[in-house]
Amino acid sequence: MHHHELGDISSPSSTRPLTVALLGNPNCGKSSIFNRLTGLRQKVGNFPGVTVEKKSGNLRLDDGQVVHLIDFPGAYSFYPNSQDERIVVQSLANPKAEHYPDAILYVADVTKLDKHLLLFSQLRDLNLPLVLLLNMSDVAERDGIVLDTKLLAARFKVPVVLLSGRTGSGFKALKLAIAQIKTGVAASEHKNRRLNAIEKKVSQRVQAILPDLNPYQAVLIAHHVDWLPYLDSTQKAAIRQINSEEGFKSLNCQVEETMHRYDIFTPLVQQVLQTKAEEKSTLTTRLDSVLTHRIAGPLIFFAIMLLVFQAIFAWASYPMDWIEWGFAQAEAGINAVLPAGWLTSLLTEGILAGLGGIVVFVPQIAILFFLISLLEEVGYMARAAFIFDRVMQAFGLNGRSIVALISGGACAIPAIMSTRTIGNWKERLITILVTPFISCSARIPVYTVLIGFVVAERTVWGIFNLQGLAFMGLYLLGIAAALLAALVFKWILKTSEHSFLLLELPEYRSPVLRNVGITVWEKVKAFVVEAGKVILVISVILWALASYGPPGEMEAATQAARDRAQQEQMDETTAENLIAAKKIEASYAGHLGKAIEPAIAPLGFDWKIGIALITSFAAREVFVGTMATIYSIGSDDDEYSVRNRMAKERNPDTGQLVYTQATSFSLLLFYVFAMMCMSTLAVVKRETNSWKWPIIQFLFMTGLAYLASFVAYQVMT
Amino acid sequence: MVANIPTTKRLSDLKPGFSGEVAAFSNEFVAGKLMTMGILPGTRLVLVREAPFGGGWYVKIGNYSIALRKQEAACIIMN
Repeated sequence: MHHHELGDISSPSSTRPLTVALLGNPNCGKSSIFNRLTGLRQKVGNFPGVTVEKKSGNLRLDDGQVVHLIDFPGAYSFYPNSQDERIVVQSLANPKAEHYPDAILYVADVTKLDKHLLLFSQLRDLNLPLVLLLNMSDVAERDGIVLDTKLLAARFKVPVVLLSGRTGSGFKALKLAIAQIKTGVAASEHKNRRLNAIEKKVSQRVQAILPDLNPYQAVLIAHHVDWLPYLDSTQKAAIRQINSEEGFKSLNCQVEETMHRYDIFTPLVQQVLQTKAEEKSTLTTRLDSVLTHRIAGPLIFFAIMLLVFQAIFAWASYPMDWIEWGFAQAEAGINAVLPAGWLTSLLTEGILAGLGGIVVFVPQIAILFFLISLLEEVGYMARAAFIFDRVMQAFGLNGRSIVALISGGACAIPAIMSTRTIGNWKERLITILVTPFISCSARIPVYTVLIGFVVAERTVWGIFNLQGLAFMGLYLLGIAAALLAALVFKWILKTSEHSFLLLELPEYRSPVLRNVGITVWEKVKAFVVEAGKVILVISVILWALASYGPPGEMEAATQAARDRAQQEQMDETTAENLIAAKKIEASYAGHLGKAIEPAIAPLGFDWKIGIALITSFAAREVFVGTMATIYSIGSDDDEYSVRNRMAKERNPDTGQLVYTQATSFSLLLFYVFAMMCMSTLAVVKRETNSWKWPIIQFLFMTGLAYLASFVAYQVMT
Repeated sequence: MVANIPTTKRLSDLKPGFSGEVAAFSNEFVAGKLMTMGILPGTRLVLVREAPFGGGWYVKIGNYSIALRKQEAACIIMN
């Protein structure tokens, strides 16, 4: 890494900034501290080989020095229960590992100090400079917790900083402590936990194979030899050999080590900490008696979900209108300034239309992520997982799957990435496979355009909008498909892995808006950049395919249409539309659509819909833009005009309307079920580490879509 | 610590509102996981309530709350 522009030229070590790892248990408030230290100067990436999110950022100290901070996923110990926690072991058990830090900042919730020191005590044995951060000083103060930090620092032989990620108190001391790591003051003598006889032997023999390890790291490698990625097959075989020769039983040693560590630090905690030990009914207890109540709990959950979706539709429509208006203005502006020609056409109908198609979703995605991260931040998501664990289990899923399924309503990509907290591989895989059935925000414009062709706009039972109900019906159909598919996979997939749910239910806290804001900003940025790249490329390709055709054919088609317009004495608009329609029929896109027409005709789709289907396989949101391009209307993103144009579309041979109730319903079903998102498939490939699962997912989802559309169309006609 | 004690006082057999001390675990795998979350022999815990659709328990250890399934609760032997 090079940070020449930030470094101090006089010191040679300043070319590589000090790398500091931020570690702690889940729910210790680590991200608040990280966000406060780095703000928006964060980089979000992935740890090597897995999609566990890696956040890092640079922190500038008062003396101008730059420190590189890596925010690791929350972990309880070096004995991981999930993919997330594995990263911590993987990165710290080997000094040669990528992201091995120069020093550690360990965050513990001061109100749960007796539970939060296990990982700390393990990290201590790595003999890296370490600073203990006691977070939630504001809560401790409120609850009357008195702590002797000086005694704690003396006993643990590490600098101790009492702070609050929420209020920002103690951050001056924190920065000072970080500065002192740099100058080496923080490193101090520490006596590691004594290894037992077997551990000692195993440790020495593993060290002989991997000489960079310290004794404790060697034991960790012996524990986790089966999954650590950087061991080659010879090393793995050798370490397994050592384990069996020495009679090293991982579980046994793990339990013994854990007990030993608790025995060491528990008396210390009791010595330095004074709590007002009265069992009063806390806010969390009172809230949970309602929110996790047998009847009220699920009802409140559904009420919250209803509110979330209401918010997406009600709040997002205004900014979406502004964005559409803005793009229409830009297009008109370009058309007015630039001369007509292929460049203008590429800019307006290709690039601008494509960009508009992405940006218009930003309000919905931002609102959904805002609400979801708000629910996460206050601590509600863990309750939802607790409430529905039994139901999810019946479908082969895990209580934690509910988080992915809800997030899937925004976008399947982050939803699939959120499954990494599910420890059981089968449950995680099923969640990944069925989440794309949940109607994501990219399906919204497709539904909006088509729903009017299926049900009329009227009010039923006094208050309900019939189209709104149909909309909800499509969402429910997606949920039903997800659960049924999960059930099928539950029967097919076999595993001997133990399934469990051990879920911390954190105390309810008012959200830190900085954390929510940063999450929303990052997700929206990722969507615009990642999805944007795909959509932009597809838009340009589509534009080219629709604008050009085999030599001579487009000219011939234009001439034929012109002649016919003259013959039938059409007015100017009708003639223009006819010419545009004939041109696209003769284009490469037209040929492509015609080629697949026989396959989709039984579903009630013509070749124009075929083109939209092909482009939609890159990303569903391309549908409306494609329709607009095909029907050659000026403003690509104005759904109403696309709708009006589609409503008038007739089959040139039979003269019948194309978007009948049957065709539209069939098309809607296709979009509910079909796997039409390359980005999701790419993420599934990365998460499951093979092409097998994305291919299976693509085939069963699209197969189901074809079948459902086929049955619907054939029954309705 | 880890022992095969008759299953008479498994946490999963107890009623909400029960409060007591952990004696041992009957399964080493589950023991490892529970211990990393701070449930050890000697830990006092309260069985707060059952999950709305069953299958899980809301357990409180001091000011710390966790959810666990009945299968895991069945591995916790209570005093």
